[in-house]
Amino acid sequence: MNEPAFPKVWRKESKPHKFCPGCGQALALKILGFALDELEIQNRTVYGCDIGCSLLTWNMFDFDTVQTHHGRVLPTMVGFKIANPKAIAIAFMGDGGGYAIGSQHLINACMRDDKVTAILINNANYAMTGGQMAPTTLASQKTTTTPTGRDFQIFGNPLHGPEMLANISSEGAYIARAISSNYQDTLSKIKKSLQNQIDGRGFSFLEILTMCPVNWHTDAQESLDFSEKEMTKIFPIGEFKCPSKLS
Amino acid sequence: MPIKIILAGEGGQGVQTVAKVLALSAQKTPKNISYIPSFGVEQRGGVSLAFVQISSKQIPYPRFAKADIMAVFCERAVGAIKNYLQTSTIFIYDNSAISEKKLAKVKNIVKNYLAIPAQKIAQEKYSVKAANMLFLGALLSHLKEISFEEVEKQVLKELEDKIAKKPEIKEKNLGALREGLQIAQNFDSSKQPFEGMAEKDIQREFKNDKISWTRFPEYCKGCGLCIVRCPVHALSFSDDTGFLGTPLPAVDLDKCTACGNCQRICPDGAIKVEKQ
Repeated sequence: MNEPAFPKVWRKESKPHKFCPGCGQALALKILGFALDELEIQNRTVYGCDIGCSLLTWNMFDFDTVQTHHGRVLPTMVGFKIANPKAIAIAFMGDGGGYAIGSQHLINACMRDDKVTAILINNANYAMTGGQMAPTTLASQKTTTTPTGRDFQIFGNPLHGPEMLANISSEGAYIARAISSNYQDTLSKIKKSLQNQIDGRGFSFLEILTMCPVNWHTDAQESLDFSEKEMTKIFPIGEFKCPSKLS
Repeated sequence: MPIKIILAGEGGQGVQTVAKVLALSAQKTPKNISYIPSFGVEQRGGVSLAFVQISSKQIPYPRFAKADIMAVFCERAVGAIKNYLQTSTIFIYDNSAISEKKLAKVKNIVKNYLAIPAQKIAQEKYSVKAANMLFLGALLSHLKEISFEEVEKQVLKELEDKIAKKPEIKEKNLGALREGLQIAQNFDSSKQPFEGMAEKDIQREFKNDKISWTRFPEYCKGCGLCIVRCPVHALSFSDDTGFLGTPLPAVDLDKCTACGNCQRICPDGAIKVEKQ
C-alpha cells in the first residue's frame, strides 16, 4: 500500500495528530520534520514543548520529547544543552508561552547567547483556550477578550519578537521570521536555525506565522489571506540577524 | 436505583447539548440530577463524553464506573466508552456511522442494543447537525419519567439563538426528535440485527500514465487548504468522507500538473503526488 508522505521523524502511531483542520502549526511541524530529515540529526535531537496548542506535540516526533511548565520550555532546553552539549535542543512554543509568560526567558536566553534553537508559533491569539487576545494580536483584530477589536491605546501594539531580539543578540545569533504556508522559505529558515546550533555559533530564534481557522472563524481561503496579507504587513517576513557563514 | 447515562461522540456533534437538555428536563421531575462533561484538550476533533445521572436518592459523585444507558454517536467514541460497558447496558448506537469492525468488541459485552441510523436520516431528511436530536428521542424511550413536552421546550430554549438566525432549523430539530423517539419505540431487537455500517470502499488513488495522486481518508481533516492552493483548480471536494466525517478532496487528472502544492500545504500529510 502507498505510504503517506510524512517526515521520517514523525511518529506514525500518533497520527492523525490532534491539531484542528487547517492548522498552520501542524504545517510548521511538518516542515520542521522535513528539515530534521534533511539534516539527519534525529538520533541526537531533544525536543521540548510548552503549554498551549504546542503541547499537542508531546507525541508528535520519534525522539525524546519533554513537555514543560507554561513559558519554561526555553530554560529547560538550555539546561539540557548545558548538561549534554552534543544534543540538538529544540524549544517549541507558542506566542503566549514565548512572548507573555515566558518572555523573560526568551530575552535572557538571547542575551546569554545560549546555543539552542527556539521556534515560536505566532497565530495572533491564545488558540487552545478559545481565542483570547495574545501579545501578537493585531490592532483592531477581534478576539473573545477584545470583541470590538484590540484597542492599541489600551492594550498596546503587537509585540515584534524577532526585531526585539535582533537588537540584543550577539554576533553568532540567527533571528528570523517565516510563514508556514510558504514551504520552501520556512524549510530553509528552519534548517539554518538548526545548522546554527549544530555549528555552535549562537542562539537561534525563528518565529513562524501560522493560521488558526477555528479561532479566527475563517475558511481555508480567508485564513490564508489573513495570515499572508494582513499578518505579514505587521510582521514582515525575513532574516533579522544571520551569521555570514550561514547565508 | 439511579439511572446512569453516558453520551459519547465527536466534539461538535452536539453531545453536550443533548446532555444539557436531558438534565434540564429531568430537573422538572422530583428526581435528583447530575451532569458533567468530559473532553480532551483539543479545540476540535476530540472525543466528547457526557455523564448524566438521574436518581431518587442524593447523588454523591457525578462520575461512575458502569453505565445503564449509553448513546454512541461516532466510531471514534467506541474506544473511549469500552470500560463503562456492562452486560445490562442498553447500547444505543449509530449504525450508519459505526463500522462493523469497531462494534465487534462491544458485541461481546452488551446484550441490549438499539440501532439508529442517525447520521443517514439526519443527512437525508433534516440536517447533519440534527443527528443528535434523533439520539435524544431514542434516549427518551428508555426514560419514561421525563415528559416529551418538557424536552421539546428545553430544545427550543437551547436553540433559541440559532432559531432566531435560521427559523427553518426549529422544525428540523423537533422533527428529528420525534422521529428518534418513534424509531426507538418501534425497534425490535429480535428482528433487527446488531451490526454496524458495512465497510465503504473509498477510492484512494487517482492515476493516469503521468501522475499518481493519493489521498489518505484516515488522515484528512477536510480543511480545504489543498483546494484553494491548487494553481490550476484541479481539486474539489467529493462526496466521500474522511475519518472526521468531513469531505475528502478529489482530483481532476486532466487538469493536474503534479506541481505538488497540495502535498506541501497539507498540515496532516494526507496527500501524496508523484510523477510517474
